Amino acid sequence: MSEPNHSAPAAPTHPGILTRTGAALSIAARRRDSRLVFLLAALSYLLIYLATVGDLAVGGAAGGVSVQVVEDLSRALASEGFFRYGAIAVVSAGPITYLFSPLNASLALVLSTLVGANVALTYLGSIQPRACGLESSTGVFAGIPALLSGAACCGPTILLVVGVQASATIITGFQLLVPLALLLLVGSLLVIGRQVDPDLL
Amino acid sequence: MTRLTSRRAFVAAVGVAAVSGCLGSRQSGGSGGGPTDTVEPTSEPQPTATDEPEAGVPPPTADSRLVLPMTPAEISDRAVSGGPPKDGIPSIDDPSFVSADSVADRFEPGDPVFGLARGGEVKAYPQAILVLHEICNDVVDGTPVSVTYCPLTGTAMGFERGETTFGVSGRLVNNNLIMYDRGTEAWWPQVLATSLPGPWNEAPGIKSLSEFRLVWTTWEKWTAKHPDTQVLSFDTGFAKNYSRDPYGSYNPREGYYADGASPMFQALNTDDRLAPKRVVIGTRTAEGAAAFDKRTLRERKLLEGDLAGSPIVAVYDPELDTGYVFRNPDGRSFEYQNGRVADGSGDTYAPSELPAEQLYAFDAMWFAWSGFYPETALYV
Repeated sequence: MSEPNHSAPAAPTHPGILTRTGAALSIAARRRDSRLVFLLAALSYLLIYLATVGDLAVGGAAGGVSVQVVEDLSRALASEGFFRYGAIAVVSAGPITYLFSPLNASLALVLSTLVGANVALTYLGSIQPRACGLESSTGVFAGIPALLSGAACCGPTILLVVGVQASATIITGFQLLVPLALLLLVGSLLVIGRQVDPDLL
Repeated sequence: MTRLTSRRAFVAAVGVAAVSGCLGSRQSGGSGGGPTDTVEPTSEPQPTATDEPEAGVPPPTADSRLVLPMTPAEISDRAVSGGPPKDGIPSIDDPSFVSADSVADRFEPGDPVFGLARGGEVKAYPQAILVLHEICNDVVDGTPVSVTYCPLTGTAMGFERGETTFGVSGRLVNNNLIMYDRGTEAWWPQVLATSLPGPWNEAPGIKSLSEFRLVWTTWEKWTAKHPDTQVLSFDTGFAKNYSRDPYGSYNPREGYYADGASPMFQALNTDDRLAPKRVVIGTRTAEGAAAFDKRTLRERKLLEGDLAGSPIVAVYDPELDTGYVFRNPDGRSFEYQNGRVADGSGDTYAPSELPAEQLYAFDAMWFAWSGFYPETALYV
């Protein structure tokens, strides 16, 4: 089986990175299996991210379903840490407690959508050998920095888990984790998109 | 989880039979800076109004300045960001209180609470709430106070606040909460209780706060001694998960709070005479500092010591599982008898009521105490 010829189309007519990435994403959106992969990956990441930032937790006294909203809705804009904002509602369902923070939820949706897109394209690459280069798994790992960004009241709790003592430098570094994750996720999407040959799609 | 309030309901558009409520609706009225009527405990949250702090007005301070481990400027230089910005950890400025019976099902007997009996009022501040707020600006027995708790150093301390309120600066020194007063924006590290220059007030004058004792005890012991106590309501006005302590657990003691666990940040001074998180009951004055190992005090009931050349004695109180420290300048001999203290004259006293000057003392993790007071005496 011959390798697809990546350099065959003339350079001036070659679609740009964004076009290629868009084309790959539209294919992922059209296919039922890749849509499922996207949803599973995005939802998994969403839940894990919300748990690491402390908005989603399991435990405590199990009760019925309740939603309680704060009177001061401006708490939604209050910064409580690195890319962490105040919650305005407590949603309880049995042992599950979710603190609804509009900005945290928005950020979580953006991150999880990017993770889902990365994983969906990676999946396409694994089942479609003609779309060469899509085997990149960069995107699967690009979202990890954001998962580490969850900070407690004083200092990042992830440090308690790994047994590393915090310092001013480490705290400064933690401020960069969410932007880093966003950059990596967008970058990896573009890398995958660049490797897509539209002629083969 | 947060309490359901009935004052104002919000019906959320969720596709399930949802029980809805509104957090944080508060009644206005009362003078935060002035006396208020004593509130009878009820199952409905009773508000304690707190006025807006006046700009430029500092909190009340003590006559003498407490001992510091280095110059104020050097201490400020050792401050680090804990992550959250100024007020990123929101103080409770509009607390409400409920009866112990109405929230008893939310506590295990061994859950820590910080008890305050002042004048005619008795209040309990659950650690589960303060771990997410660190400061509660309240009015107790007509006096504006701040009940403060630093989870990283295991210290619960009370301060008079006057016409201002305290907030959480987001900075730490020796892992300890640096408060700021909203009147002058000076920094006040909780344990040192002394003003420091900071970015928002570079020359606040160096004074120490007027402090009062909070008793670190358990839900079971506090409510047994004070069944009519008011309890800080879980309805704080914030959407928080009070079932989740981000650092660990005190009941049982694990995670960050375990004896041998490391501090989050490097301590100002390392002293391996005790494990880092071992609890001591420490006392410090303008002259010096001394600490008693709480576990040893619990076992021996009475411990004698020395504070800057003057004899002191620590007494265990089994009723609240705490200790009190007294000056004992004449070196009197005390004996522990069935939960009371005899002084040799035939009289006996409750552990908190020895006929001697009681020193302000509080529970602290050993690393924090020895970090702030490297010259401290330690009695084990």
